[in-house]
Amino acid sequence: MLDALQGLGRATLTFFERLGRGHLLLAQILMNVPGLLLRPGLVIAQLYSVGVLTLVITLVSGMFVGMVLGLQGYNTLVDFGAEESLGVVVALSLVRELGPVVAALLFAGRAGSALTAEIGLMKATEQLSGMEMMAVDPVERVLAPRFLAAFLSMPLLAALFSAVGIYGGYLVGVGLLGVDDGAFWGQMQSAVDLNDDIYNGVIKSIVFGFVAGWIALFEGYDAIPTAEGVSRATTRTVVHTALAVLGLDFVLTALMFGD
Amino acid sequence: MSDSPPPEHTPSTAAVVQIRDLHFSHGERVIFDGIDLDIAPGGVTAIMGPSGTGKTTLLKLIGGQLRPAAGSIRVYDENVPLLNRQALYRLRKRMGMLFQSGALLTDISVFENVAYPIREHTRLPGELIRDLVLMKLQAVGLRGAAQLMPAELSGGMARRVALARAIALDPSMVLYDEPFTGQDPISMGILVKLIRELNDALGLTSIVVSHDVRETAAIADYVYLLSNGRVVDHGPPDALWESSSEWSQQFLEGRPDGPVAFHYPAVSFRDDLLRGDRAS
Repeated sequence: MLDALQGLGRATLTFFERLGRGHLLLAQILMNVPGLLLRPGLVIAQLYSVGVLTLVITLVSGMFVGMVLGLQGYNTLVDFGAEESLGVVVALSLVRELGPVVAALLFAGRAGSALTAEIGLMKATEQLSGMEMMAVDPVERVLAPRFLAAFLSMPLLAALFSAVGIYGGYLVGVGLLGVDDGAFWGQMQSAVDLNDDIYNGVIKSIVFGFVAGWIALFEGYDAIPTAEGVSRATTRTVVHTALAVLGLDFVLTALMFGD
Repeated sequence: MSDSPPPEHTPSTAAVVQIRDLHFSHGERVIFDGIDLDIAPGGVTAIMGPSGTGKTTLLKLIGGQLRPAAGSIRVYDENVPLLNRQALYRLRKRMGMLFQSGALLTDISVFENVAYPIREHTRLPGELIRDLVLMKLQAVGLRGAAQLMPAELSGGMARRVALARAIALDPSMVLYDEPFTGQDPISMGILVKLIRELNDALGLTSIVVSHDVRETAAIADYVYLLSNGRVVDHGPPDALWESSSEWSQQFLEGRPDGPVAFHYPAVSFRDDLLRGDRAS
């Protein structure tokens, strides 16, 4: 009993200690972001490895998710004779929820894990210590550009995910199942609101990009510098980002759409 | 040479590194329990001791990567633990450090690794940076490897590139963390020669942390022996070989038994064998 209490106490302390370290690192990163304006090359290189290299998985997944939405949506709507609203269903599902959320989950799996592994290995091979001894701040040179790249990439990836998804829904709904072309686009155009739907989706993806980048970089920077430590940190990145994204999605949805 | 146990120091104004009453622990494990140490300018000072004595930790404390629990570490008259980040970075520009692993940035070439600190801290034109990098690489014999990637280097070559990078900003002090570990005899010979020759040619102060006794003693002007969180002996290498300290003799001659016992502390072997409970 006493051991269990002791274990619980230790786990709680460790949790808050890590949370504190995470926030301190975030503050350091944010303080270094403005300085990146003077060195855009660092951010552009990371935009490529964090954003561009995540494009393929995002686009392919977006296409399939949109196609499934088209198929499922049609099967349900056709029972009510409302299949012409398929465009609305597909677009709202993607723009409001699936675009930001699934793109963030894919981002955590592809780019987040890569960021953690990269930073963790740099720590394990003393590259970060080496930079510090060369009087080069690794937070400024390594972490801040990656954070900014994640923050900028996420909304763009989510937007592309939604766009390709809508096209996937169109291919299945209009191309395969015979929904009227004009109704598909027309109803979508009249039902999807720029402020309520698109902007809110963009805000979600910005928040997710912020959180995903932060978690990935913190886990790498805080990793135990061994093979096992880096492996665990990479796993934690994916798990924690997924949980944070899904939890935040609920909170943001409640704030944006709950009356 | 002083008598062991722990030597007394009188503050030396000439020392470029002056450590007084240094205490440092990792969790509950005491690494340094009040050590005093002076590094004289212009020479090669070796810090030796068995694995796990905190030799690398001492370099990290000198470089300000770790903070001591108590005591002072003065480098070029600045108290390192009290420096803010800006002042610490200013001080580090006067130091180079050779890490045991080399710590080269793996995604850029040998040339770019050596150029990295120059690009970060100066606004020199590209042509001049190129010339400086080639000079540093020439000094370590690897000008021909400038375009290779770190993954294409042998362990010895990686350490020589790291050495070229450590002297890229023309520091006045270089810290070497286990430079000879895992090197073949040729690479080791090259590194031994480079450390001594660069020290003399560039007027450096070198601090070499190592447990390779013969190689280190061959180039050191002064040696500190650390064990169990204390300085157990110190002096010029020749004098240490003549030391009356049994611990020093065991360490320098690599004897398997002595003050550092071959057997880890345990109950008597007889009692252990006769004990009914063998669970442990």
